[in-house]
Amino acid sequence: MARFLNLLPWRRRRLEQDLDRELRDHLDRRVADLTRSGMSDHEARRQAALEFGGFVQVQEEVRETWVWRWLDQWRRDVRYAARTLRRGPAFTAAAVVSLALGIGANAAIFSLVDQTLLRTLPVTRPDRLVQLGWHGNSLSSAWGTGWLLSYPLCRELQEQDRFFDGVICRHPTAVYLSIGQQHDQVRAEIVSGSYFSVLGVRPEQGRLIDPSDDRQPGAHPVVVLSYTYWQRALAGAHDVVGRAVLVNNAPMTVIGVAPPRFTGLDPLDAPSLWIPAMMKKQATPEWDRLFDRRAVWMHGFARLKPGVTAAQAREGLQPWFASMLDADTGREGFPKVTADQHRSFLASTLDLEPAPGGLDTLQAAVKQPLLVLMGGTLLLVLLATLNVAGLLLARGAARVREVTTRMALGASRGRVTSQLLTEGVVVALMGGALGLLVTPLITRVLLLFLPEGAELTAGLDARVFLFATVISLATGALCGLAPAWQARRGALTSSARSQVSVRGAVRLRKAIVVTQMAFALVLLIGAGLFVQTLARLYGRDLGFASDRLLMFRVEPDAIGHPPGEAAEVMRTLVRRLQAVPGVEGAAVANSSLLTGGSPRRTLTIQAETRVVTERSVPIMRVGPGFFAAIGTPLVAGREFTADDARDIETRGYRAVIVNERFARRYFGGTSPVGRLVGVGNQPNTPTTIEIVGVVRDFNFRFVRDDMEPEHVFFPFAETGPLAGNGTIYLKVTGAPESAAAAIQAAAAEVDPRLPLLSLRTVGEQIDRVLRSERMLATLSSGFGAAALVLAVVGLYGVMSFVVTRRTQEIGLRLALGATRANAIWLIARDAMVMIVLGMAIAIPAAGALRRLVEAQLFGIPAFDGPTIALAAGLLALVALAAAMLPAWRAASISPTDALRLE
Amino acid sequence: MPPARFPIPQGTLDMLILQTLSLEPAHGYAIAQRLQQVSRETVQVNQGSLYPALHRLEQKGWLKASWRQSETGREAKFYSLTRAGQKQLAVEKATWNRLTTAVQLIFNEGE
Repeated sequence: MARFLNLLPWRRRRLEQDLDRELRDHLDRRVADLTRSGMSDHEARRQAALEFGGFVQVQEEVRETWVWRWLDQWRRDVRYAARTLRRGPAFTAAAVVSLALGIGANAAIFSLVDQTLLRTLPVTRPDRLVQLGWHGNSLSSAWGTGWLLSYPLCRELQEQDRFFDGVICRHPTAVYLSIGQQHDQVRAEIVSGSYFSVLGVRPEQGRLIDPSDDRQPGAHPVVVLSYTYWQRALAGAHDVVGRAVLVNNAPMTVIGVAPPRFTGLDPLDAPSLWIPAMMKKQATPEWDRLFDRRAVWMHGFARLKPGVTAAQAREGLQPWFASMLDADTGREGFPKVTADQHRSFLASTLDLEPAPGGLDTLQAAVKQPLLVLMGGTLLLVLLATLNVAGLLLARGAARVREVTTRMALGASRGRVTSQLLTEGVVVALMGGALGLLVTPLITRVLLLFLPEGAELTAGLDARVFLFATVISLATGALCGLAPAWQARRGALTSSARSQVSVRGAVRLRKAIVVTQMAFALVLLIGAGLFVQTLARLYGRDLGFASDRLLMFRVEPDAIGHPPGEAAEVMRTLVRRLQAVPGVEGAAVANSSLLTGGSPRRTLTIQAETRVVTERSVPIMRVGPGFFAAIGTPLVAGREFTADDARDIETRGYRAVIVNERFARRYFGGTSPVGRLVGVGNQPNTPTTIEIVGVVRDFNFRFVRDDMEPEHVFFPFAETGPLAGNGTIYLKVTGAPESAAAAIQAAAAEVDPRLPLLSLRTVGEQIDRVLRSERMLATLSSGFGAAALVLAVVGLYGVMSFVVTRRTQEIGLRLALGATRANAIWLIARDAMVMIVLGMAIAIPAAGALRRLVEAQLFGIPAFDGPTIALAAGLLALVALAAAMLPAWRAASISPTDALRLE
Repeated sequence: MPPARFPIPQGTLDMLILQTLSLEPAHGYAIAQRLQQVSRETVQVNQGSLYPALHRLEQKGWLKASWRQSETGREAKFYSLTRAGQKQLAVEKATWNRLTTAVQLIFNEGE
């Protein structure tokens, strides 16, 4: 191995200098000798050079010995290793397969980590991008998740050219897109005109949206298609530019196609098209508020000027931001708020976070679980590595004689070491190669657990390949290290009397097993935590009856029905569905359960005094019979009636239902039914909406948390633009799957062109929401099981070896009157010590690792006594069972046979 | 007379070097001189070709080298035999003896 170092440049330089000096010394000496014998200096030099031969050629030949010899030796080592490995096919297969699984799983998870977390956006200098966020209370209504800004603020940020080389804003949404005969519901990004130019993205076809498309609301009906959509839906047609399309039924024109690698600012939500912010009303027909300063919905990003750091920009922008806040409070329409709220508004700051990979908030859902899994697979690879090291050691012990003989024959210690290392590396590289074959399969399984739209691929690329190679080499070195160390010790005792080195090897193998026990226990504890988390989440009472509850989205307004007609289609559809046999209840609402976001509004409440809600409250708009359909009872008052839903366009809301937490928070113990509220927080907000009911708390947005637990419900309007699309909920009597056909038939009667989008049971929706939890539970259980097997196999191997080695001793003991139980105990005690030591390492380690998993857990502490006890119990049980087999063999040793071995 | 390439095979040169150094450590020039003296000028060493052999043996771990002051007062790179080198020399001598004995036997038979 040391030869390899000769390739290092500085080492190489020294060798060169040395050689030059040595050869010159030789020539000088010859010249001196020749002149002493009477030759002239000139003659002597000529003669010496002649005798020496070609100087340069000699140098070249010497150089070859430095490097080629190493390569040559290495080749011989590999051939030798291959021969040895071929001689023990069972060993080789076991080692290669266990390493392949470990390396394959590792590479698979790395490929996802790489695609989602490590990649930067394919734009100019992504390292200069920062995300902008409002830190504090913005007293705004919000649409979306993460750091949100209003469009007017976004425009003002664009003027801050002291720090920024441009600011961009974007909002993700879904639109109904028609091109010719092609109708799709697709993801879209609503963007500021600066978007593409600031990112430095160039068009594949035509032109991209630019600042000239950012002037007048409704006046820029243009879209840019993504490369993928262009290829998929239009087969890459080259006359795409200039084509007419309908976006939510509004006519627009395709002006260009984005380059293939660019998929927007959110790695997990690739849009099919981009729409200028000025066309927001068309892109999101349900709400506009483009110029509303108290409506936040856009993610803002900026490109820092060269030489400006995020911290400098943050600090430098603060005075401007503070004056903007101050100006806002004086504007017409600024909400009437309490002194506290006013103060917290003025204390807001502008935050900047580096965002080379684009939007990070959504990645958080995937990032942590993937990192946890990455840690898990690394432990698994280590475990597999230790197993192979153990196996190599076992063989090494059998080969002590071979090694000693080779050394006696003149092989240097380094040679023997490098040979054993090579053997480990060859095994690991074979494992790595096999692992890479299974990597795409494992990745494909993992992708089932990850959100769609992320455009993640299961293919192998150079980076995954490199990663797998590095892991394989490291694994190989680790595998080979133990036997190499053992060989060195063998060499120190330097005789074929191998007793000492064998004892050393056993001690080393026992240490390896202890480590394996520890790793396995850590993985088992992790599996226990994740499985319980999942069980608790599934067992959680979400406040509604999710069984036999179906939901799907319909958007008649998006397929060409004018607003009045679309609302009519919705009403007819709900009525028709109520009549379908097997449907117990049907109701409409604006959004689907457990899909995350919801609009939020600040409310003014007329109780004893006039109060404004502290934060904006998530709202949902629901039709008559909604709560009955989802099986959530009202604790006071009544559901909405058809009358509540009538004429909302003209007369506004008259009725509202609040949840229990809202009632408790703002009305204390008294019943809120009959009290009045208003939408908005301004001094003159009218409070004319009557609370008609209180509904039991239920989770309508998320499964996991109940942050912001106050919710309110408004009637789903019968008419108007808001009534043109929604989610329909159906409570069915039989199996939901069999009802689907009847539902589709009924819907086709109402409008055969109307697609039922995302038709699924709420149970299926829960599965989708809990994807990452299911991924963690499933994979960690798999890892735990694999770890248990690997560790136990390691233990079994050592124990078998110990029993074989101590056969005579045990035989003697039995002959001298020891019972079989004594013999079993003798061996089992050894195993128990290893198990207990493993636990002693693993349990504090699990404590130290708890931060890593805390965020992924639900309803269970990260350092949970019962879970640890259970995992440790399982490990001890299985490990002892495995140790019992050799112990039993020890007990059944026949004393006479054993002694005859002597 | 122009010096021909060293005519004896590499393995034999290695053996001769090891043998020479088994007496005492020496630098390259001295080894070349010694080889010539001992072989009574019958073997013409192309002196340069000694060095690849020395470096090869050093890489194999049979020789070790260090810069030391020489008899003339100048620094020179001295080679000496390692334990592995001593073993190797013994092995090679034995092999050589077996070989020459065998060859001799064959020649004798022909007489």
